[in-house]
Amino acid sequence: MTQERAIDPVYAAQLTLNGLLLGLLYALIVSGLALLFGVLGIINFAHGEFLMAGAYLMAFALPVLGLAYLPSLLLAMLGVALLGCLAHALFLRRLREDEFERSILMTTGLSILLLNAVQYALTATPLLVDTQFGFDGIDLGGINITWTRIAAAAAAILALLLLWLCLTRTQLGRAMRAIAQNREAAMMVGIRPEAVARNAVILATALCGLAGAALAPIQLVQPSMGQFLIFKAFALVIIGGLGSIPGAAIAAVLLGLLESWIGGFFDAVWQEVVVFVAMMLVLLLRPDGLFGAPRMRAG
Amino acid sequence: MLRHLPPLLALLAAALLPALGASPYVLGIGITACIFTVGAASLNLIYGYAGLLSFAHLAFWGIGGYCTALGAVSLGIGFWGGLALAGLLNAALAVLVGIPALRLNRHSFVIVTLSFSLLTALVARDWVAVTGGPLGIPGLPAPELFGLSLRSPPRFYWLALAFAALSLALLRAVTTSRIGRTLKALRQNEPLAQAQGIAPTPYKLLAFAISAALCGMAGGMQVFYMQVVDPLILDFYYFQTFLVMMIVGGAGHFWAVVIAGIVMTVLPELLRATAELRMVIYGALLLFAMVAMPGGVAGALESWRDARRRATAERPDPVTAAAS
Repeated sequence: MTQERAIDPVYAAQLTLNGLLLGLLYALIVSGLALLFGVLGIINFAHGEFLMAGAYLMAFALPVLGLAYLPSLLLAMLGVALLGCLAHALFLRRLREDEFERSILMTTGLSILLLNAVQYALTATPLLVDTQFGFDGIDLGGINITWTRIAAAAAAILALLLLWLCLTRTQLGRAMRAIAQNREAAMMVGIRPEAVARNAVILATALCGLAGAALAPIQLVQPSMGQFLIFKAFALVIIGGLGSIPGAAIAAVLLGLLESWIGGFFDAVWQEVVVFVAMMLVLLLRPDGLFGAPRMRAG
Repeated sequence: MLRHLPPLLALLAAALLPALGASPYVLGIGITACIFTVGAASLNLIYGYAGLLSFAHLAFWGIGGYCTALGAVSLGIGFWGGLALAGLLNAALAVLVGIPALRLNRHSFVIVTLSFSLLTALVARDWVAVTGGPLGIPGLPAPELFGLSLRSPPRFYWLALAFAALSLALLRAVTTSRIGRTLKALRQNEPLAQAQGIAPTPYKLLAFAISAALCGMAGGMQVFYMQVVDPLILDFYYFQTFLVMMIVGGAGHFWAVVIAGIVMTVLPELLRATAELRMVIYGALLLFAMVAMPGGVAGALESWRDARRRATAERPDPVTAAAS
């Protein structure tokens, strides 16, 4: 059975496309995490809950906006960015440098609060999200792709491209990279770390909200949807080299492909284990190189 | 001897609870308080004293639960044998995980210990032959002592209380010993401690192993209280609860964490809070503690006391007087 499937080119192509999409969505999540580590020096344990918030905003915005995909996507993204801005103003702003454990505990508190508040208010019942595309798709020689997946992939590619342009071509992005590379020197030339940190949080949470919103019509929306995804994302950030956005994004796309192939040809267990095995290997082979220098590179 | 009096009196009062006619519901809260306090206190040893934020304790807690259950059900060494095995296995696992994890910096330590917990949860769910998969191992037998079943609420309560008393006594002994002081020194200034000829890693590993063993045995108590072990024992809820108890009480303050463990188990029951609402409150408390009082209640009290002492001592400090 599995042998036959392994040879079938249509099945393999379907898996590859699914994996590519999954990887692109991972890349959105992971690049935000890497940005936050680079600029603020924190690991955001509430990132999964921002993703969940994006999915719920999408689920609520769609019926109100007459199922229109793009406006709902933008609204959800904006909403999550606002939430991120609020989280920075209330909590993250108070973190000083070298308060790594405090940042984890703080974002863990935020994660517990958001997850259980949503569960309390909306119950844990999963939502099925309908869009203007319905569940239709296109057929490419036997490979079936739904429009919601195509739209999600397009949005992810566009967002990643814009992120790269922002980091390399705009003053906003250069300031973020400057803070990540050398905080003191950046301050000496007049960059205000707090404003840059706020921008980074808004950017990272907007990317995460976009990922959640794009994911909403593809899988079930439920409060715990961000939890397992985020742990994979942490492992990816290590594999890609902490603080390196392209590294993390490439690792994310590769993982998406790998997971899809493994899930298609082997037992589903290995699909979930592969990321942790990869992380252990990377840590064993390059224990310092990946975590050692918390510097952010953008190209 | 006198300083041991308040905890011993509290223990005596707690032991008299069933005799005073407490209902099974109240005793159930008491059992949870005993088990969770040990969990929070074990986390306090590794974070409050050794300064390592370990997410592996969720795995230790779950492995302890499975190990004790398997000891009684499959290995035929009974509840006590299983509990002892849970302690030993977790201590060994802590050393195995700790050696590579401590070689990395503190960022990686967090992620590696977290991944260990996630992998353990996957193993618990998917290694059906041993763990029973998603269904787990139901119908755990009652622990026995000299042929006496400890199933009834008063008896299990006494068992949990004795377990908590012994565990906390051991943790107290460790934290007040030279080991505890060394750990504190390492947390405050590792290079300075190293310059005094202290090798950090063995001390950290020892703290990690003791803390893991006790957390695992607490997990064993928990599954025998619930009479079932399934992958839900590895739910993040347990770890988050221990974490919030430790942080709100005051990491590095022994009795503050113990009191926080008891109060934060009893108070939500008094308020009749649902599971979600309790976690909403816990999350808010953790956030509030991290914003307003990173040292927890004990840390806030300590700094308030210091501030008052400084205010009352009007005599100028000789050092600053000389400098000005």
